[in-house]
Parts: sequence; structure tokens; C-alpha cells
Amino acid sequence: MRANYQVNSGVQFRMLSEDQLEELFNGVLHVLEYTGLEVHHEEARGILSEAGADVDELRVRIPSHIVKKALALAPRSFTVFARDGNPDHDVHIGPGRAHFGPGPTCPNFIDIETQERRPYLKSDVPLVARTVDALPNIDFCESLGTVSDVHHELGALYEFAGMFPNTSKPIVAWSYDRFDSEGIHQIAVAEAGGQEAFERKPTYVHYCEPLSPLVSTFEAIDKLLFAARHRIPLIFTPCPIAGGTAPVTPAGIVVQAAAESWMGLVLAQAVCPGLPFIMGGVLSVMDMSQMILAYGAPELSLMMAGVTELAHYAGLPLWQTGGCTDSKTLDEQAAIEGSLSVYFSALTGGDLCHDVGYTESAMTGSVFQLAMMDEAIGYARRITRGIDVNEDTLAVDVIGNVGPNGHYLREKHTRRYYKTEFWYPNLCDRRNYEEWAQMGSQRMSDRSIGRVQDLLATHEPSAIKPETEQVIERVLAEAEERVKESA
Amino acid sequence: MSDILERLSTSILEGDADTAVELVQKSLDEGLAAKTILDDGMITGMNEVGARFRRGDMFVPEVLMSADAMSEGLKLLRPELAKSDVKMLGTVVLGTVKGDLHDIGKNLVGMMCEGAGFQVVNLGFDVPPEAFIEAIKEHQPELVGMSALLTTTMRAMGQTIKAIEEAGLRDKVKIMVGGAPVDQDFSDRIGSDGYGSNAVAASDLAKQLVGD
Repeated sequence: MRANYQVNSGVQFRMLSEDQLEELFNGVLHVLEYTGLEVHHEEARGILSEAGADVDELRVRIPSHIVKKALALAPRSFTVFARDGNPDHDVHIGPGRAHFGPGPTCPNFIDIETQERRPYLKSDVPLVARTVDALPNIDFCESLGTVSDVHHELGALYEFAGMFPNTSKPIVAWSYDRFDSEGIHQIAVAEAGGQEAFERKPTYVHYCEPLSPLVSTFEAIDKLLFAARHRIPLIFTPCPIAGGTAPVTPAGIVVQAAAESWMGLVLAQAVCPGLPFIMGGVLSVMDMSQMILAYGAPELSLMMAGVTELAHYAGLPLWQTGGCTDSKTLDEQAAIEGSLSVYFSALTGGDLCHDVGYTESAMTGSVFQLAMMDEAIGYARRITRGIDVNEDTLAVDVIGNVGPNGHYLREKHTRRYYKTEFWYPNLCDRRNYEEWAQMGSQRMSDRSIGRVQDLLATHEPSAIKPETEQVIERVLAEAEERVKESA
Repeated sequence: MSDILERLSTSILEGDADTAVELVQKSLDEGLAAKTILDDGMITGMNEVGARFRRGDMFVPEVLMSADAMSEGLKLLRPELAKSDVKMLGTVVLGTVKGDLHDIGKNLVGMMCEGAGFQVVNLGFDVPPEAFIEAIKEHQPELVGMSALLTTTMRAMGQTIKAIEEAGLRDKVKIMVGGAPVDQDFSDRIGSDGYGSNAVAASDLAKQLVGD
């Protein structure tokens, strides 16, 4: 037995001190209480007023005790379930657990056959979802694009309808408006076997995005209300740009983003106390020569670490960002920017890290970047898992048995641990030169492309119920009718 | 393939030495020919081990367990093979060259060659050229395998090959080399017949050099 013995499970990473976090936390409370936000939704303003907020026309200011009450209601740990009951595909959100997945809504896509950049199509959705389903280090699904070849109001609905049958990993679903949200929810509820069954085991998370600085738009709030009333786990994530739509300093953008997200938190907890709520958002710099939000900037990782630590300090999970790049192609820049942000995100334990597979500053989704990052995530996870120290792993006896000039290859101890202690790459090449040359002298990018094509040729996700397929058809047909009528 | 030989092959593949020995004994008791037991039971199993290793489906510690199972089974089978005058695939003389104390890699090559059906004479490490020459004279091997781990001792491989030439024995044997700093280019430059990048590659090379 050991007494007074402390164990570090995994690598320890901490950027901000308790004092600094307390200061950031109080900064957020101050903004919410004294500046407040514009809330462009009359019903929501009524609910917030009822909850104790000070409503002055569009402007809503929330006293800090109301915010603290909402924080206390939201769970830190919860599970988003695989639709097919496969426990390996469940996502358990909680301290020390970093999960990864793609992002939504890129206008362009790297074609899987030709590797050419072109608009994102409906037919890309199932391929992305199947790749997500197959990759071992990708935990949840988004589509990497906005479907361009359907009616312009139905992209999000077609996207969910394409993802849901092609992966049993939890989906993070965005939508244009409440109509989309309803359609999406009908599909998930059909598979779950009813609203109650869905509430017990939710299979997707609803994603809403308010506007920076300090505006809760009608659509974002309307979708939030839908999610809260149907007890759908919720992400409320702004996308402030330092120097443009948020303060230029990392501390300042963290404070503003948290205030924007927590307006959603207070509203959601007022409607549905205890609703799983994931704080956002995506924080990065405006590149002052290119006028873009830089997805490969080191400040993205720093700001995301800051907002992650603040979320955890406040007792909330966070919607992290990483595995993305400003590069236009699957090259060294893409590998550096993607891998470093993946590693940094893994160190923070940010709960759901999205945008894996974004290239060209979120203008183009790439399933090849996603596959390359799957390798980087595996690599990062081996590092963050750290080192176990106990009597068996110390191996003092084994060292004694083998002695000078012996070897460990035959030891039971070696056989017991070599598969779990060592990380085995899928894409990184460790062959000798001759074998590598014989196999076609492939670059990392070639191997990433090859892996995606292999997985798509061989991997079959589990099927959805036949009745759910019918619901999908009906939901899409009804949506087509609706847009026809409104035109 | 009979059921018992198939089980023997599986026990080798799974690295289960106890079962392998038991099944070799049982096969002999049932009157199966020693050569049949070797070729259709044990070597079949080891060939599958090699194939899986090359595909990345088996790892060195598992390969070693299979090689151990093979080696235990062979201890029992060898007197019978000698009795029926069965020739092994050939004889390999192995050693780590002069000045180099590294033993493990070369031993792995020995185990894999034995698994492939060779008779292996392991000279150990820090082996001077004269000892290689003596062993060639004594054991009449088809193959000589040399290993070095250090860039400083690689040169001893070339010197050993030269000494074998000067002793008039170079055309009696094929020579293969290996070790971390060695590559195909170095192998060509010192006049060796082949280079193996790891233990499984070395046993494949050995089979290729004896024309199996």
C-alpha cells in the first residue's frame, strides 16, 4: 500500500493561474452585467427578464448572480451516444477527455477522386461521414461543407440526412433555422424510438452561432429555444476575430466570447434546467494583411487554451478548435498548423475539438487533411496519456533478470506492454529506405489520400432502421414542399 | 494437410511451444515422416509468421515466441531427421564481426533462419575472420551471415570477406550481411551476396540465396 502518494495521470498542462482565471471570470460577469448584449428575439427577452435579467429594448444585461445560477445548473459531464448502441462510438464528455471531429459549412471541398477544389456537393456528405465513422481518432461527425447543389435553404437538412445513415458516431448538427432543426430532430427521434428515448440517450448536439460582438441573432436564439425545449445538448459558439470583431488581446477576446456564449447559457438553463451546454467559440486573429480569420495561427491555439481553461474553471465543457490550416493543399504547412493545434488542443483537454480537416482558412473542407490529422491526434493522445509508474512498470525485477548484455524481446513483461505502451502509426512511415522506395516513395500526402480511398472502399457503417429511412424521405419531401410554397 | 499438422502449424503461429512439442511427438508416434512434419507442419507455420510480420500484422515479440516454439519442436525432430538422412534447407554460419559486441539482432536472424528450415551455427559476437574461416571448413555451410551494429565495425565485414577470399573459400559460400548501419549499397561495395534489413528479410534472403 502507498500512503500520501500523488499520481499524475497524463501530461499536466496549465496556461493560466487560479488568480488569472478568476480575473477573466469576473471580466465576463462584468461585461454581462454592465454592458450586456443585444438579443434579437422578443420571446427570449421575455424569458430572460423573467429569469432576472435587466431588459432595455434590445439590450439585455444579466446580473452576475443569475449567470452563476445558470453555471451551477449546467452539467460538466454527460454522454452523447452512438445511434447504434456501439459503446466505442459514445462520446463521454468530462474532465480530462479531449474529443475530435471535423467542422461544418466550408463552401468548397477537395474532390476525393480527383483531388481538385470545387463546390461542396450533396454526394460528398455520405463520404465524409463514412470516413469519420472509420477513422479511429475521430470521435464525432460534421460534414466539412455546405451542400451547394440543393435549394439554398435546405443545405443543412440534406447534410444531416446524408450524415446520419453513414456514421453511428455522434453528430454535431447546425441548421439555418427552426424548420431545419425540427426536421433534423425528427430523424434522430425516429431512430431513438421516441422523444423520451432520445432524451435518455441523445445522439446529436445542436450547434448555434451568435454574432460578434455581443449580438444574439434571431436565428441563433430561435434554434437555441428549439434545442432547449427538446432537451437536445447544445453548443452556443460565437466566432469573434481578434482585432476585428473582438479585442486584439487574447484575454480580451476570451472575455467577450465567454459573455456571448453565456448569454445562451442563461437562456438555455432558464428554459431547460440542467440542459447539457457546451461553451464556444472559435477564437483567432484577423490577419491584418489578408483580412482573413487565420485558422493556422498560433494565437488560435493560445486563445482556445485560454477559453478552455476558463470554461473548465466555470464548470462547463468547451467546443475546442484544431487540426485546421490556412494552407490550400495537403502540404507541410497543413501538417505543421494542423498537428500543432491538435496537440495543443489535446493538452488542454478541450472537450469537443472541431474543425479538423479545414483548409484554406475554412473555405475548403478536406477529408485528406482529416485523415492526416487522425494520425496527429493518435500521436498527441499517446503523449497526453503520459507514463504509468507502478511496481510492474518500474520493471526493476525484469532489469535484474535480463542483466548486462541480455535482451528484453523475449520477456513476458515486453509482451504484456508493447502493444499498449507503444503507439503504432497508420500513416507515418518507418520503413527503411529500400522498402520505402520499393513501395513507390510515397509522401505523407500520398499515404493520407490512399488511406481515405482504402477506408471508403472497405468500411461499412452500421445501418439505420428502415423506418428512419422513411422518416428521412418524408422530412426532405416536406422541406422541398415548404420552399416551393414560399417561392 | 492432416489435422494434426494443421494444429502443429497453428501452435507455431501462436508461439505455443508446449503444444508444438506435444504435437511433434504425437506426429512421430503416429508414424508421420520427420520431413513431412517439418515441411507441412512447422515450416508452414513459420512461413505464415513471416508473411504476417511483413504485412505488419505480427510484431517482433510474437515472432520470437513462434521461433522459440519452432526451435523447441526441432530439438525433438532433429535426431529423426538425421536418422532418415533428410537434408535441412542448408547450413548458415552466423556471427557478429570482430570488435562488435552486439548479439541480439544476429540471434534473431538465427532464430528466423532456423524457423525457415536452416541448420544454424551461431558463432556469437566479436568473431575474428579466422573463426569464420574455421567454421566454413568445419561445417561446410551454404551461407555465411555477418552482422555489425556500429559504423566503426562495419569495415570488419569487408575485411572478413577479403580473408574468406584469400583462404580460397569465397566460391564455396554465399555471404549475407546486416545490421543497423548497413544498407544495400554497402553490401554491394564489400562484395557480399545480399543484405537483409531485418530478421525476417534476412531469412527470406537466405532462402533466396540457396535457391529455395
